Amino acid sequence: MNKELTIDMLAAVKKPARYTGGEFGSIFKEDAEVRIALAFPDVYEVGMSYLGFKILYHLVNKMEGIAAERIYAPWIDMERLMRERHVVLTTLETKKALSECDLVGFTLQYELSYTNILNMLDLGGVSVLAKDRGDDDPFVVVGGPCVFNPEPLADFFDFAILGEGEEALPEVLTCYRDWKREGRPGGRPGFLHRVVQVPGVYVPSFYDVTYNEDNTVQSVVPNNPDTPPTVTKRVVADLNTVDFPTAPIVPFGEIVHDRIMLEMFRGCSRGCRFCHAGMVYRPVRERRPEILRELAHKQVENTGYEEISLVSLSTADYSCLGPFLDDMIADFKDKKVSVSLPSLRIDAFSVDVAKKVQAVRKSGLTFAPEAGSQRMRNVINKGVTEEDLMHAVSAAFENGWKKVKLYFMIGLPGETDEDVLAIAQLARKVQWKFKEITGQGGCQVTVSASSFVPKPYTAFQWAPQDTLEEIRRKQGLLIEATRVKNITFQYHDGQTSIMEGVFARGDRRLGKALYLAWQRGQRFDGWADVFNFERWQRALQDCGLDPAFYSHRLRGEQEVFPWEHLQPAVNRAFLASEYKKAQQEMLTKDCRQGSCNGCGVCQRLGVPVMDFGNRAYDASKEKGFASLGEKMAGGDNRSYSMSTQHPGLPGKEGDAK
Amino acid sequence: MKLRFQITKEKEIRFISHLEYVRTIGRAIRRAKLPAAYSQGFNPHMKYSLASALGVGVVSYAEFVELELTEPMNPLEAAEAFKKALPRGIRVLAVDAVETNAPALMSVAGGAEYRVTVPWTGNVADAVEKFNSADEVFFEKQAPKAKEKVKRIDVKFYIPEISVVQRETETELHFHCRITHNGSMKAVNLLNTLNEQYGLQIPVEKADIERMDLYRTDEMGNKWPMLDSLYEQG
Repeated sequence: MNKELTIDMLAAVKKPARYTGGEFGSIFKEDAEVRIALAFPDVYEVGMSYLGFKILYHLVNKMEGIAAERIYAPWIDMERLMRERHVVLTTLETKKALSECDLVGFTLQYELSYTNILNMLDLGGVSVLAKDRGDDDPFVVVGGPCVFNPEPLADFFDFAILGEGEEALPEVLTCYRDWKREGRPGGRPGFLHRVVQVPGVYVPSFYDVTYNEDNTVQSVVPNNPDTPPTVTKRVVADLNTVDFPTAPIVPFGEIVHDRIMLEMFRGCSRGCRFCHAGMVYRPVRERRPEILRELAHKQVENTGYEEISLVSLSTADYSCLGPFLDDMIADFKDKKVSVSLPSLRIDAFSVDVAKKVQAVRKSGLTFAPEAGSQRMRNVINKGVTEEDLMHAVSAAFENGWKKVKLYFMIGLPGETDEDVLAIAQLARKVQWKFKEITGQGGCQVTVSASSFVPKPYTAFQWAPQDTLEEIRRKQGLLIEATRVKNITFQYHDGQTSIMEGVFARGDRRLGKALYLAWQRGQRFDGWADVFNFERWQRALQDCGLDPAFYSHRLRGEQEVFPWEHLQPAVNRAFLASEYKKAQQEMLTKDCRQGSCNGCGVCQRLGVPVMDFGNRAYDASKEKGFASLGEKMAGGDNRSYSMSTQHPGLPGKEGDAK
Repeated sequence: MKLRFQITKEKEIRFISHLEYVRTIGRAIRRAKLPAAYSQGFNPHMKYSLASALGVGVVSYAEFVELELTEPMNPLEAAEAFKKALPRGIRVLAVDAVETNAPALMSVAGGAEYRVTVPWTGNVADAVEKFNSADEVFFEKQAPKAKEKVKRIDVKFYIPEISVVQRETETELHFHCRITHNGSMKAVNLLNTLNEQYGLQIPVEKADIERMDLYRTDEMGNKWPMLDSLYEQG
């Protein structure tokens, strides 16, 4: 097996340090009994920035006899050389080919990275199709946010872990080690029948899918008695009790997020109706400020980094952010370490926060109103008014900022041309505000508009996506409307959004098209310079699949979705009610500001919201609430009651309970 | 006070760029908790620098880093702490301490010694003899940004002499290359020159280039080590 990347190969490619490893903090376990490759289906700089794998890498490597190693997708230049010279894709640590690992774990971050998964398996000497894998092949396991609909990949992976990996992955690895020690009883199926008993594990080959005449899914049912009818995601009940890396790998080259990432909390309860992360990472669980500070100190010492980013889905919502930031800034001032936030909320508090932290000052402030008109912001439950935005930018301008970047989406359900044009008007109003406050012109406003893609387990999972023509027409409207001095309009061509939409809400039948498109040369679909829309269209056509069926169709109220056997524990009835409320332009309050909205997550998982500001609705005080520990002990977490999954809209009384 | 370290860039990390190497050194200094001095201003920078930039892919046993300190420190203790904070592929070979106002290391390097190994066994002896006895050998170097602009340099000014050893499967070249205030010449361009001037077919892209040493020179052409005191790596 040829593994050597020779001098002339490395000299011929862009960014050769992507392929050579050996970074400070990387862990080498030559003699491990079980080896898992943590495979990120994109280039090194992107994959190395992913917090999930930083967490799992350190967690797994702390286990005795078990090694986690890293592997990334080689860029096209390196792939060409590897194929020419028959060099196999290996891990960065002990240079094991993927085929030499016990397990290969891919994270599903983005639908357009799926072709890279096929390509990496092939380059690593592993059969691309799960059914072709033999006793010597590794098991291919997937996780990450897109795992709540991994069906387009069902032909390619052996099993999936739903939800958070801190507890589930060690359980799976221990299960594998025991099976290996026992002499691999039952071969590959033997292991799958064993691992499917671990809560949160999904084995796609253990389910049969049938379809209706109109091509929609009729049913997804287990084809053996060991398998639960539905699989519920795993969560860590209390983040303060699990390991967080204190000595992450420090890369040589500049990666996308080249700084310490301190995870403040998981989940978000704001309930924006387009947001997939906001649904699948529930409930909100905060880390204690004193633990966060300790972690920050250890990481600074162990890495030498000069910046700490406080990450989460919405960091400004952290219950004790104000005092916490003051402490952090005081702690690290003399150590020349700055603190930064990845995003800001639209309010004066956030501008106040931005004033304290240094890193955002350089580039100007970024806000995400998401939609231009108040009507559309109500549709998506953004809960932000024009007044809020004007307050926020006023505070920013009063404090010396001259540049603002605004993020929007176009193509949201029910959007009219008026709503689209309101985006440009809002940008103008921000400029006028600047003039009003400073008496000067010249306020730079960057308007970035992405094309909305409906995702599973959101209120908009029923909604049709705009067609390519419609996306382009709306972009055209905005191009015209933003031809104003000092307004810059940024957008991407809609072709990638269309393909993202097909895979986001796709089913198993897409596997054939994925395979065909990969064989015809598709990879790095998320990279606009490589993406080839026509080739994708042809691959779908050659497999008899219609992209419009997946993307542009209003899905039926009672329709069974291809992903419903995989549960982030959000009630379907809640999502249906949210979709209805969206059409009525009605808002739903954050459950940290009021009562329970009935999304079902706390109750079904047995995990209440953890908010140190005591703002949250506490589900654990409800009658009959069973904690996660009780549920796991009773086996309830494997398969929650089917009644909560009943398709359809709720009654007139509104929110589902 | 300023500390000067002789460090390496070895095989496992030869493909990190100069910029990446510099950043890696900076982070290691922070991990080692050396009392580094910082510049003033809104965005303070650690006051450290490297003596010379190395091409990507070149191994070196003679990289020099200079670090300004805010308070004096025992150089051997500093080297010990620094060593522990470095990744695989970077070792500390020597350390020295000088006054803060001593001239920057960058300005004192006068020459470098190279070893180049290529998996090729063509007839090199004649070419080397011709090169060594020639008064001038020219190489046309394209400016990286302006493609039409070609700089003609005399290779002999930088590299007066080459010695060569041939083995069963490879050829090894040894030479010294002069460094001036106006720059130097890349080792790989010596191979390009030999190919162009003497019709050799050395596979330049497969060359394993190692910088064996970097040194100061005086008016008489004598070579002096970059650092005054040596610290033996344990």
